[in-house]
Amino acid sequence: MIASPPAANCRGCGSREESLVQLGVAPGNWDILVALAGNPNTGKSTVFNALTGLRQHTGNWPGKTVTRAEGTFKHDGHTVKVVDLPGTYSLQAGSTDEEVARDFLLFGQPDVTVIVVDATRLERNLNLTLQVLEVTDRVVVLLNLMDEARRHGIGVDPKALERELGVPVIPAAARQGTGVPELRKAIVAVATGAIQPRPRRMSEHPPEVEQAIGEVLPAIAAAYPGLPNARWVALRLLNADDRVLQAVRSGELAALVPTGAEAPTAAVWATAGVDSGEGSPVATLLDALVDSRWRLSPDFHDQLTAGAFAEAERITAAVQVTGLRRVRVDLDKQLDRLLTSRWTGFPLMILLLALVFWITIAGANVPSAMLATLLIDNFHPVLQGFGATLGMPQWLNGLLFDGMYLATAWVIAVMLPPMAIFFPLFTLLEDFGYLPRVAFNMDRMFQRVGAHGKQALTMCMGFGCNAAGVVATRVIDSPRERLVAIITNNFSLCNGRWPTQILIASIFLGTLVPAHLAGIVSAAAVVGIALLGVLFMLGVSWVLTRTVLKGEATTFSLELPPYRPPRFWQTMYTSLIDRTLIVLWRAVVFALPAGAVIWLISNIQVGGSSIAAHAVEWLNPLGILIGLNGVILLAYVVAIPANEIVIPTILMLTVLVGGVAGVGPGDGVMFELDSVPAIGTLLREHGWTTLVGVNLMLFSLLHNPCSTTIYTIYKETRSVRWTSVATLMPVALGLVVCFLVAQVWRLLGA
Amino acid sequence: MPEIALAVPNPLTALALFAGAAVVLALLAWPGWGLIARLRRAGDLSERVRLEDGLKHLYTLEAAAMPSSVDSLAGALGASRSRAVSIVRRLEETDLIRLETDNIVLTDEGRAYALRIVRTHRLWERYLADRTGTAPLEWHAQAERLEHGLSEDQVENLAASMGYPLYDPHGDPIPTAAGVLPPARGISLTALEVGQSARVIHVEDEPEELYRTIRRAGIHPGTLLRLEALEPTRVHLTVEGQPHVLEPLAARNLTVERVPASAAEMGVARLDSLHPGEEGVVVRLAGAVQGAQRRRLLDLGVVPGTVIRVELSSASGDPMAYRIRGAVIALRRAQADDILIRRQAHTEAA
Repeated sequence: MIASPPAANCRGCGSREESLVQLGVAPGNWDILVALAGNPNTGKSTVFNALTGLRQHTGNWPGKTVTRAEGTFKHDGHTVKVVDLPGTYSLQAGSTDEEVARDFLLFGQPDVTVIVVDATRLERNLNLTLQVLEVTDRVVVLLNLMDEARRHGIGVDPKALERELGVPVIPAAARQGTGVPELRKAIVAVATGAIQPRPRRMSEHPPEVEQAIGEVLPAIAAAYPGLPNARWVALRLLNADDRVLQAVRSGELAALVPTGAEAPTAAVWATAGVDSGEGSPVATLLDALVDSRWRLSPDFHDQLTAGAFAEAERITAAVQVTGLRRVRVDLDKQLDRLLTSRWTGFPLMILLLALVFWITIAGANVPSAMLATLLIDNFHPVLQGFGATLGMPQWLNGLLFDGMYLATAWVIAVMLPPMAIFFPLFTLLEDFGYLPRVAFNMDRMFQRVGAHGKQALTMCMGFGCNAAGVVATRVIDSPRERLVAIITNNFSLCNGRWPTQILIASIFLGTLVPAHLAGIVSAAAVVGIALLGVLFMLGVSWVLTRTVLKGEATTFSLELPPYRPPRFWQTMYTSLIDRTLIVLWRAVVFALPAGAVIWLISNIQVGGSSIAAHAVEWLNPLGILIGLNGVILLAYVVAIPANEIVIPTILMLTVLVGGVAGVGPGDGVMFELDSVPAIGTLLREHGWTTLVGVNLMLFSLLHNPCSTTIYTIYKETRSVRWTSVATLMPVALGLVVCFLVAQVWRLLGA
Repeated sequence: MPEIALAVPNPLTALALFAGAAVVLALLAWPGWGLIARLRRAGDLSERVRLEDGLKHLYTLEAAAMPSSVDSLAGALGASRSRAVSIVRRLEETDLIRLETDNIVLTDEGRAYALRIVRTHRLWERYLADRTGTAPLEWHAQAERLEHGLSEDQVENLAASMGYPLYDPHGDPIPTAAGVLPPARGISLTALEVGQSARVIHVEDEPEELYRTIRRAGIHPGTLLRLEALEPTRVHLTVEGQPHVLEPLAARNLTVERVPASAAEMGVARLDSLHPGEEGVVVRLAGAVQGAQRRRLLDLGVVPGTVIRVELSSASGDPMAYRIRGAVIALRRAQADDILIRRQAHTEAA
């Protein structure tokens, strides 16, 4: 599966500016560079938002699919650029996140590094803190979540911690906004030299570690005299850190010596490169390394980490007091018991899912109708009139306004309200801390099919939007398991397909029950199909992990953070803006061309009837065979860009091909009828049976991903092969399933 | 209406045709024994591949101080005698071997070439084990195929990307680019004194059956064990605290080095055996956990001396949540099984 070795690239060659550009930080009008580091779940993003406000920008680290945020703030005449590093447990390069953090700290050489530390989990957080202190002096520790600590009866003395670590320590509760002004002051003070931190370094490692360091230090000093953090470099080399090794071989390590340092040879390296030929100091260093490494004990790394934690324990004991209060801790525990117990865990989860679905569907109804009225009923005729006054030819008017504009308007009207409700709800659950519990509960299921527990989370995201679900798979470290999650994400029934499901369920299943139950039946149908999608996801994952994506399960370590009251209004606001922008972007980029295509094929006449009519006729045999019809198949082909326009397209094509006059605004124009029974009548008149309805629901679940998702999959995997698999496998599965259902149905019925 | 006028195909015919098509597809595309897979495997056996495999075989025999011949070559490569003869002739033409009276000897050039192949093979095994999660029984087979396709630069990049690993997942040392190997160390398990604790440093992966047995006993490079008794037909061991019995053939496939008893405490339980509310003190991580997985656990705080408390069980019983150094971490039972602990006598009130 993975057969080609990765290529080397040279980061940090040359000056700091060049390094920064390669790390993705563009030169600008900032004069202080700050890196924000810390464990996951410490409230780092809250700190980042508090520092930079709306002046931030999210993207990716160059060459990697790791999210990156950077922003600026002004203080005391300085412009400070803040780069948010991924949350990591340490600086070893165990995962891409850790690689990114380490590379930035080492080669980006920020002016100040802010380490966000969780006051409720001080001991574990100090592991990373001590590691960062080995790399750089200019550190500010932000002791965050002090309010949480108080809640749990934990008291941490910031002054004592400051004495222990030797760097400024700022107590904060970033969610409340306390501590942030002091942080800004401290950052500028350290950057300008007003405060000179003197970090207490780990002077003593376990004896075997010290011995190994001692063997290598002279060779490092000979090859790179004046290197400020030589002991750290020695440790990294002994730990086989590939980036530092590369840096030694290529001479990039020179970039670590600050300009203007005492070492006279710094300038020489920077310009002439480093001599690593035989007999040179660098070659001697590498030989000494090979020797030392062969002789190292296999549990060298264990000892190193044990030493770090011993130090962390000692510091924590000196600065922390526990058991001050015990209020509300039990509520956390009780909640956990309830949400993860054998009997109540899963039912509550399904109930919550159904609730979220119901709120989204019910809440989106009115706004969707309003948007539809505004954009389509009101604005569309205005545009047409506008076109007429300009003297536009009929076909141009049709193409622009009946095709492109209508498709876009539809996508916005149908998509915007549900997404604007679903994603904020989802983010609220995430902020609250419930989502890791979902992965916790569902991991066993995913383990049995060879996948990763976090796929449960990406699956849930996929219920909102499959593209968002694919991006969410970044939380899965292992590439193999991530691919499984990406390929099967399509089986999460996304928001765009809910209207199709609800409508068809209402027409073909809802008519079987009394009217006042029809609403509940609709919701139940959607939940049912969604659960069927989950089953398919598990099944296909099982097949994938036994055939093309075979492999062993990787480490599953998931942190369960304490429950925290979510920041309701902030979440609503940011989520709403985010989602609205994405939907609008998608509507314009993907739906607009789709609308053009649909109008064109419906209105260009070839040999007496439109292209669409020909296509429908040509597709009909296949359609009938698998229990659908040509109209549905054609609608799905042209609606690849966006699922929302499937129903309007189907209605338009039905009318067009069936030659029914007087229904809909005109030939080749998408539309929707106001009443469900009216749609039902129209479809049944054109030969739709219950089989067609059921198969349409199945096909809607199982067909290929929408174009946004395909595009996102390609961006995340950078592989044409896997993008093709992710696109074609669901549609093949859909065709096969519909085929089998149709044959069995006909056998039983006939 | 056009749709209704079309005839509905007979479902039975349709199903029959479908079944037929499925069978044909399976015959062609089934991974492993489908036609396409077989064709690919046949294409792998180009001349260069055969020559390199031959060199590797000769090097392995030389390292084990065993004589080599055309017949041994034919056997190792699964080729006919005539093909083996042509391989030997080609290798001699290119000065990679020398033919002596009843022995085939590698020239210096041949040895260096062979070492490069060995290096590539072992690097691939390391890569497959660490980065792709390939099953252990497949490492060797897949590396056999992959070792022939890389240029020297690509091999160097592969090594660099993994931080120049020293050993492959079986415990064999990976030669450096200059062909340097460390001095051989360790003794066979069967040569150990009874009652001595030891660390496994190499596990022979052939024959496959014995390898499977060894792995099932939880023995990997890095595992700590103690030899309890050595009988003619049975070898009694304590492997990371669990008793196991191996047949002597399997035991001979293990290379170990002695460690002091203090570093290899055997009176240990597994974290997996604790229930919610119970506590344990970490003794060490089992040798089976290596590489990035081991580092992740270490970075989370699972170091000797840490007190771990079992907090929760998930709704399906697996994974469980543990309080480690102040944070609650969920781990699968299979991973918790690799964490060796000493039970704490008392348990806090839940």
